[in-house]
Amino acid sequence: MILQDQVQLPVNKEAVFQALNDTEILKASFPGCEELVKHSDTELEATVVVKFGPVKASFSSDVVLDPSQGPDKFSLTGSGDAGIAGFAKGGANVDLTEQDGGTLLSYEVNIDIGGKLAQVGGRLIEGTSKKLAKKFFANFEEALLNRHA
Amino acid sequence: MNAEAKTIEERQAALKGLGTSRKRVEDARFTQGKGNYVDDIKMPDMLFGDFVRSQHPHAYVKSIDTSAALEVPGVIAVLTAKDLEPLGLHWMPTLAGDKQMVLADGKVLFQGQEVAFVIAEDRYIAADAVDLVKVEYEPLQPLVDPFKAELPDAPILREDIADAKEGAHGARRHPNHIFTWEQGDKDATESILSSAPVVAEEMVYYHRTHPCPLETCGAVASMDKVNGKLTLWGTFQAPHVVRTVASLLSGIAEHNIRVVSPDIGGGFGNKVGVYPGYVCAIVASIVTGKPVKWVEDRMENLSSTAFARDYWMQGKIAATPEGKILGLWCHTTADHGAFDACADPTKYPAGFMNICTGSYDIPTAYLAVDGIYTNKAPGGVAYRCSFRVTEAAYFIERMVEVLAIKLNMDAAELRRINFIKKEQFPYQSALGWEYDSGDYHTAWDKALAAVNYKGLREEQAKQVQAFKAGETRTLMGIGLCHFTEIVGAGPVKNCDLLGMGMFDSCEIRIHPTGSAIARLGTISQGQGHATTFAQILASEIGISADDITIEEGDTDTAPYGLGTYGSRSTPVAGAATAMAGRKIRAKAQMIAAYLLEVHDNDVEWEVDRFVVKGAPERFKTMKEVAFASYTQAIPGVEPGLEAVSYYDPPNMTYPFGAYICVMDINVDTGETDIRQFYALDDCGTRINPMIIEGQVHGGLTEALAIALGQEIAYDELGNIKTGSLMDFFIPTSWETPDYVTDFTETPSPHHPIGAKGVGESPNVGGVPAFSNAINDAFKAFGLTHTHMPHDHWRVWKTANDLGMHA
Repeated sequence: MILQDQVQLPVNKEAVFQALNDTEILKASFPGCEELVKHSDTELEATVVVKFGPVKASFSSDVVLDPSQGPDKFSLTGSGDAGIAGFAKGGANVDLTEQDGGTLLSYEVNIDIGGKLAQVGGRLIEGTSKKLAKKFFANFEEALLNRHA
Repeated sequence: MNAEAKTIEERQAALKGLGTSRKRVEDARFTQGKGNYVDDIKMPDMLFGDFVRSQHPHAYVKSIDTSAALEVPGVIAVLTAKDLEPLGLHWMPTLAGDKQMVLADGKVLFQGQEVAFVIAEDRYIAADAVDLVKVEYEPLQPLVDPFKAELPDAPILREDIADAKEGAHGARRHPNHIFTWEQGDKDATESILSSAPVVAEEMVYYHRTHPCPLETCGAVASMDKVNGKLTLWGTFQAPHVVRTVASLLSGIAEHNIRVVSPDIGGGFGNKVGVYPGYVCAIVASIVTGKPVKWVEDRMENLSSTAFARDYWMQGKIAATPEGKILGLWCHTTADHGAFDACADPTKYPAGFMNICTGSYDIPTAYLAVDGIYTNKAPGGVAYRCSFRVTEAAYFIERMVEVLAIKLNMDAAELRRINFIKKEQFPYQSALGWEYDSGDYHTAWDKALAAVNYKGLREEQAKQVQAFKAGETRTLMGIGLCHFTEIVGAGPVKNCDLLGMGMFDSCEIRIHPTGSAIARLGTISQGQGHATTFAQILASEIGISADDITIEEGDTDTAPYGLGTYGSRSTPVAGAATAMAGRKIRAKAQMIAAYLLEVHDNDVEWEVDRFVVKGAPERFKTMKEVAFASYTQAIPGVEPGLEAVSYYDPPNMTYPFGAYICVMDINVDTGETDIRQFYALDDCGTRINPMIIEGQVHGGLTEALAIALGQEIAYDELGNIKTGSLMDFFIPTSWETPDYVTDFTETPSPHHPIGAKGVGESPNVGGVPAFSNAINDAFKAFGLTHTHMPHDHWRVWKTANDLGMHA
């Protein structure tokens, strides 16, 4: 499943890029993020609780950030295991372009979901995932603006 | 009025024998909630088992940590493959000559596969503990598409047999290839295809679906360590075979195992095979010394127990320009999932798919079936049909429609000119079967007349004009089907399950007061055996069906039989019942003659009594004979009145039918409205017309489900997308139309009472009728074939692809 969208942010590219590498901001952005442990600048471990229709899943996730092409591009990959509920793996590629005095953030999220989540929630997964991605960037914008307020 | 004053007709009616619409004796308990199913069995100290199942379709199992689960109060044990290995039970044989993991042995091969078995004091504790078992997986690339199984980059699924060049059914050409099964004459068929004036080709997919019985699979195992006896209650369509397999697997002597199939809430093929749950329940009971119950939930049923169909059938059909069929060619790619657990007679890895010449006199034919492993649940059972007969009927009934389009010929007429003629029976088919009897033209003409076929086609033509003129957005489809089944497996010379010949049996005891009990080797799952078998016997021995108890399913009391599936109960056990009844009558004749003081040959049978020839006032009723058999010393005759028959049928039976479905289709929403459904069945001698009608209604509704939406669908990652009833289509009264049933009656010449079996005909014939209606509706707009299931989305998509939304 591939999700794509764009968000216009009222700060410059470097500030957005910094925020994408900021674990506090990321923690505030992940919907349902209960815990985020930083193992290194690029390696994170997160516990994220997500509800897909009737199934509530707590993902223990390993996330690897790739800031090497910053500040124009940013990417992350991750995999999460929700035990009996299933698993998820995927990544996100983010392009940052200066536009209208701010930054246009374009993202492409590629996510595969398996196990009971996919079985029960089949028809709910795409909608829920889109909603979660939107929520992430809405939270991200809010956290970013708070930081720069 | 005393018995003597009754007329022959009144006595006949009192028997409630063959041809009587006798009410089902089972329904008194079923309609009052008094059925006794596996989950109703409750025993002191009974434990419950529940599975940890794989979330991955293909992965190595790196580790299993049961410590957290074992800490839950009430959890007794958690079994893994390591615990079963010393017993040799971590794998088990399948009915198809393959083997299947009972619990994941280092690897999982489909989503939902059994990984560990938690045993706890109640099912809630077990479910909680299942969540706490930590399994570490190393995911592998899943193989979902059978056509990619032999590509160079395909993952190898069955590493346990990767190097085996030979399987249970001959040579394997690739680690993901199971077998190639060939029937007919390849060279002759291909030669006809290359020279024939007309050849039509199509890929016909019969999608993966699932029998989904209302009651899921389950078992209760109770090992009595004091007397060494194992009792196993379960949802078994073949309890005697389960006992034999359990004995061979466990090493417990067969006389120390009692297998009981209590009431079964629908089987439809799903309950023929042996599942890991049964094995684990037995092991758990042996280990704990307590009864252990395992009952799967709906998602487990849909995602792990036996699926049905999943045949990709590439077809070529050759004909003259006038429509006479010259040859039929079929290559099938059969997706068997992770283990070959098809429930077919041993010598038939693709079941009776070679009935795919259908109702037609096709001189030359060739069939090849390739079985393929994929990362899907195992199975391939006959879902309300005889082995792969539904696939065969769907294939030929689509191919005939495709040929009719190519010839620009009416599909009803094309069928008529190719039907096997009445005088050609017994008919030898090009793919090896001897059809016992049939009268297809009579049935076909009756069906076409009943629906006013000519009028329907005229109406349809007007509807097409109206659509093209923009006056309507509704199309009309006429779905034709003339099917021929092959049921009643089967002759021991060519049909067996795990080596056990597919005979069946009946044992009758007449009680002194003239009532009786008959026990059979079959087991009803809703078919109404207690009603119909008593009727067969009533007509044979002259005792009212109301005075005959039918008992099945307990291996300690019932004679050995191969169970109920593939419409085999009436053709095989029904025949055994009639034959056992005739043995009773033969002995009763000697007793009656003695009592009447005449020679055996001087009495003759009349409905319910023996009458002295030429002296109708002198007679002995069967009741009187029964009493005498227990109360008098009769020279040269043993006391009592009992008989046993083990019946090995000389041939299969070949029921047939003519179905017509008329459908209105909204091209903008894809919604389909079944305006009319006419079903003519010829199942030979009709035992109970009411039960036949019920069987036809039920089978047609399952056919409707399959044709119009029911499927087990996987995404490209190997996830089941239809693993619950939210997505898996079960029709309700909303979707179910009115059916009109009709019949002709062409008895089987080799069956003692001429009966052929009917329970599965409506599914076999129904699916092509529904699907042909959809395909037919779009024919005028350029469609040749569109795949099932025809849910609203796919119907809409078909219209869209044809440019009808422009």
